[in-house]
Amino acid sequence: MTALLPWLVAAWLLGIGLYGIVTSSNYIHLIGCLNVVQSATYVILLCVGYRWNAGPPIFDPQPPGTPAVDPVVQALVLTDIVIGATVSALLLALAVQLHKRKGTLDPEALRPMR
Amino acid sequence: MTRTARLLLFAVAVLVLAPAGVVVAMNMPAFGSHELPYGDAVNSTIPAARHISNMVSAVNFDVRGLDTLGEEFMLVCAVTGTVVLLRGERGEKLTSHPAQMRGRLNAPRSDALVLTGRLMGPMVLLFGLYVVLHATVTPGGGFQGGVVISSGLLLLYLCEDYQTWRWFMRAGWLDACEGGGALIFVLAGAAPLCFGAHFLQNIMPLGKFRDMLSGGLMQIVNAAVACAVLGGFALVFLEFLEETREPRGDP
Amino acid sequence: MTDLLVPLPIALPLAAAAILLVFAHNWPEGAPDAIAVVVSLAVAAICGLLLPRVAQAPIAYWFGGWQPRHGLTLGIGFVIDQTGALIALFIALLFAATFIFARGYMPEIGTYFQALMLLMMTGMIGFCLTHDLFNMFVWFEVMSVAAFALTAVRLEASALEGALNFTVVNSIGSYLMLGGIGLIYAKVGALDFSALAQGIAKAGANPVVTAAFCLVVIALLIKAAIVPFQFWLSDAHAVAPSPVSVIFSGAMVSVALYGAAKLYRQVFAGDPAVDFAMHHLMLGMGAASAIVGGLMCLWQRHLKRLLAFSTISHVGIMLIGIGLPSAAGTVGMIVYLLGHGLVKASAFMVAGILLATYGGIDELGLRGLARPIWPAGLALALAGLLLAGAPIGLMGQGATLIGSAAASAGDIWAVVAMTLGAALTGGAVLRAAGRIFLGLGPVPGEEEFEPTEREAETRRPFWLMFAPCAVLVLAALTSGGTVARFVHRAAGPFIHPDNAGILQGAAKLTGSGGIAPLPPDPHPLVPWLGLALALGLAAWDLSRQYLPHRLLSLSRMGVAPVWAVLSKAHDGIIGDYVAWMVAGLAVMAAVLALR
Repeated sequence: MTALLPWLVAAWLLGIGLYGIVTSSNYIHLIGCLNVVQSATYVILLCVGYRWNAGPPIFDPQPPGTPAVDPVVQALVLTDIVIGATVSALLLALAVQLHKRKGTLDPEALRPMR
Repeated sequence: MTRTARLLLFAVAVLVLAPAGVVVAMNMPAFGSHELPYGDAVNSTIPAARHISNMVSAVNFDVRGLDTLGEEFMLVCAVTGTVVLLRGERGEKLTSHPAQMRGRLNAPRSDALVLTGRLMGPMVLLFGLYVVLHATVTPGGGFQGGVVISSGLLLLYLCEDYQTWRWFMRAGWLDACEGGGALIFVLAGAAPLCFGAHFLQNIMPLGKFRDMLSGGLMQIVNAAVACAVLGGFALVFLEFLEETREPRGDP
Repeated sequence: MTDLLVPLPIALPLAAAAILLVFAHNWPEGAPDAIAVVVSLAVAAICGLLLPRVAQAPIAYWFGGWQPRHGLTLGIGFVIDQTGALIALFIALLFAATFIFARGYMPEIGTYFQALMLLMMTGMIGFCLTHDLFNMFVWFEVMSVAAFALTAVRLEASALEGALNFTVVNSIGSYLMLGGIGLIYAKVGALDFSALAQGIAKAGANPVVTAAFCLVVIALLIKAAIVPFQFWLSDAHAVAPSPVSVIFSGAMVSVALYGAAKLYRQVFAGDPAVDFAMHHLMLGMGAASAIVGGLMCLWQRHLKRLLAFSTISHVGIMLIGIGLPSAAGTVGMIVYLLGHGLVKASAFMVAGILLATYGGIDELGLRGLARPIWPAGLALALAGLLLAGAPIGLMGQGATLIGSAAASAGDIWAVVAMTLGAALTGGAVLRAAGRIFLGLGPVPGEEEFEPTEREAETRRPFWLMFAPCAVLVLAALTSGGTVARFVHRAAGPFIHPDNAGILQGAAKLTGSGGIAPLPPDPHPLVPWLGLALALGLAAWDLSRQYLPHRLLSLSRMGVAPVWAVLSKAHDGIIGDYVAWMVAGLAVMAAVLALR
């Protein structure tokens, strides 16, 4: 069961985030749910790179050659975090401007060209 | 679609996907004990090849530096988009009395808050600088340090007053910081081309292992990334905190 | 010398965009436009220089000097083959034309517009040339985020709402792709296409590999606006500035499909479940897109929204092309990509001309007003004929190739769907041209009830806007046969890459032995049938006032249920879009699991 846990957690985060987006009635809540969906990808990537009884891939003070986890997925996750943060900022700016124009943040009331 | 119909569609789809997800999870390689050829290759060759001890920075700035270049410019895109959206038609001049805008609460800060800010601000700045500079030795790097420094700047707003914040955060400087960081990254990558090497190839002297200034070209790339991230996030903070004018009426 | 050229298509526009941003407040009038045009032409020239150099065999270039060692790839590589270089050249030329078209477009946001467009161009070119899965994702993100920002740039409520829908749907797709990358990395332990291909061939039919393919491809299908992921496109296109819409339809959606084709042929071809899914699932989704896009296209009155649905339809045809097992389908798709990009870009430029000259984009509102700018009407009519499937030029040749590949694979129904979809969209564009430029068709049909809005764009000189439009649509008339033969020669290394050579870090890759010769042209009647149908539909819509009342009400009753369902589905609510997306993911997973 522990072998499946990381992947099931990732799947749950994906599912619950998508559920939140589908049933959302406030755009700020929707953006938060989008971040939850993104966390699922963090969990998958980091768990793929994990190794039992290994340390971080930083060879200070331990010497090079000590068992370490995979640094490549950690670099991928770093990129992922930057993407998530900046896209969230862009979405929030869109929400701010929309609220000023329409006075609401309900997706059902904010439909393009209607 | 009504909300019920939408939820029904979603539920049916999840019912189909759930067993598929379980099958995939059961076929994943054993957690924590499967082969990591790429990671092991990096861990074993980089310390000798580049004289650094932070493998994540090595992957970010050297081995997969092109990814970081793309990601840097993706950050520039997103920040530019946010800036264009929020500056709107307001323009970029400092309003003459920014603290006295209609509807803006302008309560004086308490002494305790001001003192905390003046103590913590320089410390946060120093810590951020430390994280940036030791990218190749200890965990950290341009991204992390840049975000720490830019959030330290927020202390100016929280613990001083709005006028100080607005005086310090000039859009022009921040634009130059962000764009300049990105530009230096591209130029640092293109410079090896003039010496017959490949784009982003690390041809600079590599320094001593575990020294702060080790890693060669990675140092320049790291500094450029720190500038760009600092400028980008500070711009985002500025635009969100700045009030924007009323939108002109839609046709 | 070649080594110097390869990184430049990426480095030049990045440096230019950064310089534009650093001095954003100090540029003199017109300087950013000029810089943008010069940079895109320079990139086009470099891609043009690369084309003959990769004629014998593709070039592999390793960034950072990280050549593969002992069969293990450490760094990121670009493998430039002729198809990639051709598409990069096309993208750069399209951007150059758009920059000329957009000269003086939005003076208030100044250099930010050119900077974002240059970054979008870089993202697209990097996406086409890269040979590493995560690097492909990074360029995909650069392209997407620039697109998100550019959609909202007009700051009107509709633009913001459209941008929100666009951003949320495509971001979910990106995260799914990232999940897929994690899965395939777990299974194979590499990120380079060649290493992945070898690993997948060894792993065979494995649920993890299939799931990774599903997740990675779904992001590309979302970007390409295939049914049931297509809802965001009509919202985003209708509200984006017209130069941006030119790029969206002209290049962005097609490039995503090129990426999907590349992933299928060069990475996941070793998985038998993927082969099965590509043939049946992709054909089904492509045919559905062709029909749904075509039907919705016919019922629009907002010209940009009409063209957006037309794009959905034609992208469906391209998906049919890459889903077919034979190489002719892929060759046809690439030729069709070039042709459709040119034609659709030109059509969107006409829409922009109407917005700038008359301050309106509603087909019914503009009826008869545009007679003074009749050259634009000619361009739009020509675009309509080409979209309808006229057997001339690039689009005609591409459609013929895809049709014959489908026929030889036994999928006649796909040919029917293709022809029908193209006829519907061509008919709609012809009707729009007739109504706007000739004043025909005073009695509207279902399009009266579709959403529309008033918008306007900055006035610019007509000749400045029309010149790129004319050049693009005339370029689409170039001999389809020559281009098809060129792409056929180029497609060998695309479909059968020299993975062993790449992994050994060979300086010179072996050119592939070529692929099966192109099949003979199928029934010459089929495209003419489509064209006739398109002309018939346009004539019907434009002459409603002469038709007997009984006939009209009969046709309205027949169409009403379909129209009601489709129109209600495209309702602009983000929750619905995501629900459809998850349903589409479930369908894909189910089909892949069946094998």
